[in-house]
Amino acid sequence: MMIMSDAQNANPAAKPRQVFTSGVKPIFCPGCGDFGVLAGLQKALQELGIEKERVVIVSGIGCSSSMPHPFSTYGVHSLHGRLLPVAAGVKLANNDLTVIGTGGDGDGYGIGVGHLIHTARRNIDLTYIIMNNEIYGLTTGQASPTSLVGAKTKTTPFGSIETPENPTGIALAAGATYVARAFSGDPMHMAQLIKGGIEHKGFAIIDVFSPCVTFNDLNTFDWFRKRVYKLEQVGHDSTSISAAMERSLEAEKTNWDKIPIGLFYKVDRPTYSDLDMTLKNGPLVKQPAPSKQQVLDILEEYK
Amino acid sequence: MTSVSIRIAGANGDGVESSGALLMKVAARNGLHAFGYRGYQSIIRGGHVWYQIRISDSKLRSHGEGIDILIALNQDAITNQKSHLNSNAVIIYDPSKVKVNELDAAKFKLAAVPLLDIAIEVSGDPIMRNVVALGSALRFVGVDIAAFNDVLKKMFSRKGDKVVESNVKAAERGYNCAGVSTLYGIKGDGKQRYAMDGNTALSIGAYASGCKFYAAYPMTPASSILHWFASHEDKGVMPKQTEDEIAAINMTIGAASAGARAMCGTSGGGFSLMVEGLGLAGMVEAPIVVVESQRSGPSTGLPTKTEQADLLFVMHASQGEFPRIVVAPRSVEESFVIASNAFNLAERYQCPVVMMMDLFLSEHVETIDQPNLDAVTIDRGKIVTEQKEQGRFKRYLITDDGVSPRSLPGTKGLEFVAGSDEHDEVGDLVSDAFSGIDWAVDVRNKMHSKRMRKMETMLRNEKGMFVPHIDADGDYYLVTFGSTAGVAMEAVEILRSKGRRAGLISFNYIMPLDEEATRKALEGKKLINVEGNYTGQLAQVIRLNTGIKIDSHILRYDGEAFTGEWIASEAMKIMG
Ligand SMILES: Cc1ncc(C[n+]2csc(CCOP(=O)(O)OP(=O)(O)O)c2C)c(N)n1
Ligand code: SF4
Ligand SMILES: [Mg+2]
Repeated sequence: MMIMSDAQNANPAAKPRQVFTSGVKPIFCPGCGDFGVLAGLQKALQELGIEKERVVIVSGIGCSSSMPHPFSTYGVHSLHGRLLPVAAGVKLANNDLTVIGTGGDGDGYGIGVGHLIHTARRNIDLTYIIMNNEIYGLTTGQASPTSLVGAKTKTTPFGSIETPENPTGIALAAGATYVARAFSGDPMHMAQLIKGGIEHKGFAIIDVFSPCVTFNDLNTFDWFRKRVYKLEQVGHDSTSISAAMERSLEAEKTNWDKIPIGLFYKVDRPTYSDLDMTLKNGPLVKQPAPSKQQVLDILEEYK
Repeated sequence: MTSVSIRIAGANGDGVESSGALLMKVAARNGLHAFGYRGYQSIIRGGHVWYQIRISDSKLRSHGEGIDILIALNQDAITNQKSHLNSNAVIIYDPSKVKVNELDAAKFKLAAVPLLDIAIEVSGDPIMRNVVALGSALRFVGVDIAAFNDVLKKMFSRKGDKVVESNVKAAERGYNCAGVSTLYGIKGDGKQRYAMDGNTALSIGAYASGCKFYAAYPMTPASSILHWFASHEDKGVMPKQTEDEIAAINMTIGAASAGARAMCGTSGGGFSLMVEGLGLAGMVEAPIVVVESQRSGPSTGLPTKTEQADLLFVMHASQGEFPRIVVAPRSVEESFVIASNAFNLAERYQCPVVMMMDLFLSEHVETIDQPNLDAVTIDRGKIVTEQKEQGRFKRYLITDDGVSPRSLPGTKGLEFVAGSDEHDEVGDLVSDAFSGIDWAVDVRNKMHSKRMRKMETMLRNEKGMFVPHIDADGDYYLVTFGSTAGVAMEAVEILRSKGRRAGLISFNYIMPLDEEATRKALEGKKLINVEGNYTGQLAQVIRLNTGIKIDSHILRYDGEAFTGEWIASEAMKIMG
């Protein structure tokens, strides 16, 4: 699979490659799936060639949420579950920026799941990457909203009895306009999907199977490798929401035998910024404070 | 000073509020001073609602204790309001709808006006009865009918000549109705004023100082700020109704971090949800403004009633310690002034500013002079576009004043990650991998002190801001904060008119508090604490900061707004 864009292949000197690394060492355990996501996102940003000062990576709290630090872009490492509203605020204030969310399954599908639904339906132009390890990593191994039935964790020592959440299904139902799933064991494929998400105008969500090698001995790299298959290889129609929904249900239907990864769904719909009245005059941060006369005009309403 | 209080009472859906607003406009445009306050419940139809407008020839600070003119739109209005009637009060009512036999006819002036008949006659529309009633009321007050007609023309000109004409006719019929005559004769000074409530003044103040983004989840009594921003979207502000208050504050932090002047607002319940976000703003040093308009608590409490019981909560909300500014405007005028200054403070000190409003201040309408727009200045603090030193940008540079240079996304070479974990000068975390290691302990010490130092810097730089204000010398001083200050001043005037030497000490910039100045202001004085809560929260703050204990309290927590008369009579009991 070709990751480098043709232009760069043809003339590597045309645009000097930016370094997106800050030099900060990631805090991940050796072998953690999140390394793959780090590589995939680095790759995608390099390929796209967006100036690093125009990129803001916003995260929540969790192992995966430490993602902004190894990057040399702008970033906000916010609160547990709150990365989407923070990211939306950044984007609404300055829609010239490329805003990327990075967080965990607990962060995005547990405590912050309400924001997922609303950010999706607003179609705010963000790219949201969730490192789904089916566990709470940073807090040392409790069940997460995507832990499978029977999963033994610190909080479910006798096996989980809750039905796991269906992230792609929720995203589709909520109105996300780009829904994909990747596997950290295939960072090149992931980079493509992330790149597509960043290029997509609208809310893009990429659910990434990113195994926790320390606290999840059920959903391991091997476990996924045996089960995932690529939608691109089976002729999936990513313009059809019903086909996408069907694929979203497949893992559960097959008792986690067949798990699709790749692009589930993509549709073009005006983004929040496209429709917002105020942004017709450019990014909010570039709009000046009102003149004295403008304030007087408003005061006139109260006479 | 002469004043007259008109109360319009009826059911939800009777047009009580719009009639009140109309009366406010008549006063504002005709050189009169007016003060309006509304009593209502959280239901949309039915119930019992009232709007009291007090009109005077000088500045008013409350809607007044009793009723001089009652417009009774239904029977409940008589039953529920009769205990509030002043002696000789005028009752305007429609004899076909309302019976007044429960009132002692000798004590009141009963003005039977066929409101409905006139309304139907001039327009065919029964709702026009309110205009008829207002016409009668204005005659009693002594306001020229031409003044009322001018407002009607301005208000209804968009709806066509016919609508204007029938309104004017209805007003004139009420004005000239038999049994209606001038009782007061209050004269205006010819100066046109604005009529607005605290939330409107706050919104315009924020707008004037360049606030571009307002996020909120609807909650009384803060909702009207969101409505204001929504209805002024075409003027270059972005209103954002969010899924909850957690999203509201976090979006505001995002927008502020990107460089827009941003604000969110709610009442106590929503602020409870915002608490974690407040700490995030403190930690990443994001300049946000948060409005907390208090209503009766705890929990859902009395959603449409006022209280000042969130002061200690707001001052201490969120875990850990971080610099914050807590302000409480004392009037509608000051809601404008403080809102426009709040963004300067937030950006100058890179910290959250919480504006404490309450239902009384948020919702009562007052006539005000034109705000001084020349006094609105914009200071965006230490925003930088370059760093002289080599290497990564030190967003959290340790400085003497605690304020670090701040870069906005989009600025080349000054990239950084803002972290809610403890971090070093460039923003790298010292929490997960390094916490407890000697150098990381040192970083924590220095960074926490740097942030906290901003509180001292504010006090040093903003001379005369975080101090109490003393009005009038007295043997006794009423001590209060925020919205109660105006009403307390009215109480002081009443006390002085009765020969009592009373003064007022009021607080608006409450946190950080200048201990020295506060002690000086209060020391050696006889103090009476006046607050809208049970525990005397300001008095606790004063004691904590100065050691001065106030023993006399006038506290109100029944949900009703203070009035000057009530405070004065309570104060008399204490003063003896
Ligand atoms: C409000 C709040 N509650 C709880 C926590 C503790 N906490 C930190 S991370 C986390 C879960 C992390 O799981 P996930 O989001 O899946 O990230 P991972 O570590 O697995 O990458 C929890 C519960 C917190 N920081 N804040
Ligand atoms: S605990 Fe798990 S998720 Fe966290 S860094 Fe280690 S392997 Fe990764
Ligand atoms: Mg996880």
